[in-house]
Amino acid sequence: MSLVADSPVSSSGSDDFAEFLDGHLDAGSENEDDGEAKREVASSSSSSSSSEEEFEDDDQPVSKRTKIPEAEIVQNGDGLEGSASHVIVKQNLETSSSASVSKNECAHPGSFGKLCVRCGAQVEVAGVSFGNIHKEILFGNAEVARWRDTDTKSVLCRRKLYLVLDLDHTLLNSTHLKHMVPEEDYLNNQIDSIQDCQNGSLFRLSFMNMMTKLRPYVHTFLKEASQMFEMYIYTMGDKAYALEMAKLLDPRNEYFHAKVISRNDGAQRHQKSLDMVLGDESAVLILDDTEHVWPSHRDNLILMERYHFFASSCQQFGFGCHSLSQLKSDESEPEGALAAVLSVLRRVHHIFFNELAGQTGRRDVRQVLNTVRKDVLKGCRIVFSRVFPSKFPAESHPLWKMAVNLGATCATEVDPTVTHVVAMDPGTKKSRWALEKDKFLVLPRWIDGANYLWQRLPEENFLVKSNEPKAEAKVKDSVV
Amino acid sequence: MFFHIVLERNMQLHPRHFGRNLRDNLVSKLMKDVEGTCSGKHGFVVAITGIENVGKGLIRDGTGFVTFPVKYQCVVFRPFKGEILEAVVTMVNKMGFFAEAGPVQIFVSNHLIPDDMEFQSGDMPNYTTSDGSIKIQKDSEVRLKIIGTRVDATEIFCIGTIKDDFLGVINDPTA
Repeated sequence: MSLVADSPVSSSGSDDFAEFLDGHLDAGSENEDDGEAKREVASSSSSSSSSEEEFEDDDQPVSKRTKIPEAEIVQNGDGLEGSASHVIVKQNLETSSSASVSKNECAHPGSFGKLCVRCGAQVEVAGVSFGNIHKEILFGNAEVARWRDTDTKSVLCRRKLYLVLDLDHTLLNSTHLKHMVPEEDYLNNQIDSIQDCQNGSLFRLSFMNMMTKLRPYVHTFLKEASQMFEMYIYTMGDKAYALEMAKLLDPRNEYFHAKVISRNDGAQRHQKSLDMVLGDESAVLILDDTEHVWPSHRDNLILMERYHFFASSCQQFGFGCHSLSQLKSDESEPEGALAAVLSVLRRVHHIFFNELAGQTGRRDVRQVLNTVRKDVLKGCRIVFSRVFPSKFPAESHPLWKMAVNLGATCATEVDPTVTHVVAMDPGTKKSRWALEKDKFLVLPRWIDGANYLWQRLPEENFLVKSNEPKAEAKVKDSVV
Repeated sequence: MFFHIVLERNMQLHPRHFGRNLRDNLVSKLMKDVEGTCSGKHGFVVAITGIENVGKGLIRDGTGFVTFPVKYQCVVFRPFKGEILEAVVTMVNKMGFFAEAGPVQIFVSNHLIPDDMEFQSGDMPNYTTSDGSIKIQKDSEVRLKIIGTRVDATEIFCIGTIKDDFLGVINDPTA
């Protein structure tokens, strides 16, 4: 049942394959270079044993053939089978041996599929795996440091910084179709076509069984940010999801290209790191809704308020309240979180490139971020009332630290310089003092709001109301 | 490099396939099992071209399966170190470019790209010579030399170079 006419391969078994190759490709007298400089004829066995071949004996004849020193060829070395026809090729290989580095000298800058990218030997390189480029590619630390350096310089020259964006709850909100509640059925009529990525915000991805809602203002945000930042996506979703979302956010592939990092690319499961971002730490800003995934880069992080559009998202976080889809509303574009963050990014960019331009020392975007942050509640002196447990050291409470980071000063006792009293209950001693002295009496959420929206929000929206069931309880009127 | 060789394999067949179409079932099962697989020795099996002979089947103890030793001819592809190949570029970035030659993925690092070619980022990242005459971008065809190979269960990885004479772009898709 042979469909092919006489093939030159006469061997009839897999074992013969190796022998066949041996016979046809064997170079006879085996001589190899140890290093480019050495021109002497060395015995092959020592050098061939140093080269780690994946294939067994089959490959040996081939490699030896390509490494025959020039001297041999000139003498027209005896016993070289087929050497005459290959002389010119070999000479070329020899003269260009400087291009392909010999295995003993190679510094193995990186590996692809466990093969050194410079010399082709099998190596184990310790370094950073760039899963977002290819799952098998890995570069050593020295090489990565070099890349990072050159890339950072070129990006700074173009007056840009780096921005790492999280996907879920930051730029968009996704849900499985089976997790949608009946109240969300009206959304099925409002789905935007996937072709309409430029303007659409609600997409149904049937092949992934998901529905995705992009956060309001996201298209403008990305467009403006791309002029000031080199952007990366870093998500804890899997690669397929990440690439689909990148297509929705960036239909013309102008922002991200291969700079989409997903869960499997990272070294650790539940943590993110800047290893795969080719920018120096001092030039990277991160936008994420979760703080604990960035343990070593908290200073680079701008914490985003979570975007809960779908009911499943609220349930996931244990909130009993209704999500935006159930309330049939959405975040407002001009006043939403993305708009606020965009203005912060603009400020940081401006300070970094315009005000710090004269500095020859290393400018650090983290310090700039801190400066901008300390501007938010500058001039406020805050006292907390019954917000912390009594025996708790007040200075270590997250709310205290947040207020300090935002530029306010905090105190434990009231005095004439205090401007704000933060409490849950208008009946405490400090609360009543605040009302008497006409100071602002606000809920702790006021500080959270300042943290997310990077501005001192109007205190009127966060006034502490009394617990009594009065209809319109204005603070000034409530007395307990 | 492609080879046309004869390989042997023991195929197990479930009794439900016995009958008039036994041989056809055997052949189609063989094709399903073997085509597209990889091995260290032979490389990538591209296609089965014919069956040389099917030996006598042996019934396995304890189960009703029958094992047939089948000798078949097939086309295999295996890259060798030092081999020169043509490949199509699939991705270009500042670390080098990826190219594919059939089932084989080849990475050419920027260390092994001639020094006069520089990386240009942008919409279509590419490597260009200083005078702009030669460009390597996605879908370009290049001739490269393999300097290292490794076989995985289903894939073959290679490292290539274009730094030697007569290597480099063959065909520019935009030209």
